Amino acid sequence: MVVKIRLARFGRRNSPFYNIVVAHARTARNSRPLEVIGTYDPIPKPDPYDNSGKLHKDIKLDSQRAKYWIGVGAQPTDTAWRLLSMVGILPKKHFAPKESETKGSVNAGDVKIR
Amino acid sequence: MPPRLPAPLTPVVDACVVPSCKSAPFVRSFSSTPCKQKMSRARQQMYQWLKGREGSELAEAKGGPRYLGPLQDQPFPLNPLFRSQPVLDEQTRELIWDKVIMRGEALKAVSAEMGVDVRRVAAVVRLKEVEKQWEREGKKLAIPYAKAVMNMLPKTSYREGEKNLPHEPVNEIHVHKLTMQQLFVPVSESRHFTRQDAAKAFHDTMLSVDARSPQPELIKMEREILQGKTRQDSLAKFKEATQKEEDRVAQRIAREAQREEEATTRVATDRYEFRFKEINADDVGRTGRSRKGTGWRYGAPFDDRKRGLVKIPTSVP
Repeated sequence: MVVKIRLARFGRRNSPFYNIVVAHARTARNSRPLEVIGTYDPIPKPDPYDNSGKLHKDIKLDSQRAKYWIGVGAQPTDTAWRLLSMVGILPKKHFAPKESETKGSVNAGDVKIR
Repeated sequence: MPPRLPAPLTPVVDACVVPSCKSAPFVRSFSSTPCKQKMSRARQQMYQWLKGREGSELAEAKGGPRYLGPLQDQPFPLNPLFRSQPVLDEQTRELIWDKVIMRGEALKAVSAEMGVDVRRVAAVVRLKEVEKQWEREGKKLAIPYAKAVMNMLPKTSYREGEKNLPHEPVNEIHVHKLTMQQLFVPVSESRHFTRQDAAKAFHDTMLSVDARSPQPELIKMEREILQGKTRQDSLAKFKEATQKEEDRVAQRIAREAQREEEATTRVATDRYEFRFKEINADDVGRTGRSRKGTGWRYGAPFDDRKRGLVKIPTSVP
């Protein structure tokens, strides 16, 4: 069975909180995983006593275990890939839709129509 | 309240014939009952008292509050349970802040010197810091209000280089529930029964009075003085010890912050900063239900919305 590195959503309504888990692909999202290797709090927060308005997101990660699971073939989901690539465990990947390539324009004189 | 002038006996409606009344229609009094023509005897006596020496002294209130009764700390003569406790005056609080923040003296040393509880010293420093921060930010302070309130309260003051009375006892010990029982411990006459033994008699894990004291260094200092050292030497030693203790705490906090910083990787993106903190996945234990573990636990109840549990945060960052 495929082993995945994925997020499991916990928290309450409108305040999500994710466990970064290693689990078999076909098990339910919030079922007991093989291992919890970290957490991801997607809600940006300011530092306490900071009025600059800068926000940050907190992530906890056991990078040793993440590297091990990648090494034995665990497949990260796109979101997990994005997080793991930030700390250099995986290469950067572009997830946004590809921009349409601009093809060269056609000169009417160059085209021969039989 | 000044004596109410007897209103003219003319009806209220007629009063509005006066042209000035038209510009301000609500000048008339709310009560339609005419005032009494004669003052009662008690009322007359009240005004006599107010005009007399005692009344004028009470109204002026120079140099702290003056209460009606004979007692100095009982604001309401009929409520003997309400006693007004003195507070630190403005200059003393400023001095505490200056000593701790500007001169860098230890909290315990300041507390012992000025006779102010160490928790109060810490609170004064915190609030003063907030005040200074507000001043820097240009926030408007309610100084007239503060002055008015301070005028109504009894105060204690501390002036440097003068002989001062302590504000409160600084080394008071919390009365533990276990020590409230009456005990009869038979002890042989030859035995030296110390405070440690007394604590042991109450309970096995009970600490002695010296260990539970908020300022054990003060006790040590007084012991040294009893043994024949000069007060000056012991005081210097006491100050050094408290300073060292405070330095140790500061170093520990700095070390923790540094350790935290070392375990954190900051990745700045164009929107937010991502902070990756290194953890150990094995902290959850064999069952995966240990409280030390990271993340939401599986198969363990999470009582954040349970009835009867405190939901408000119990600590500040």
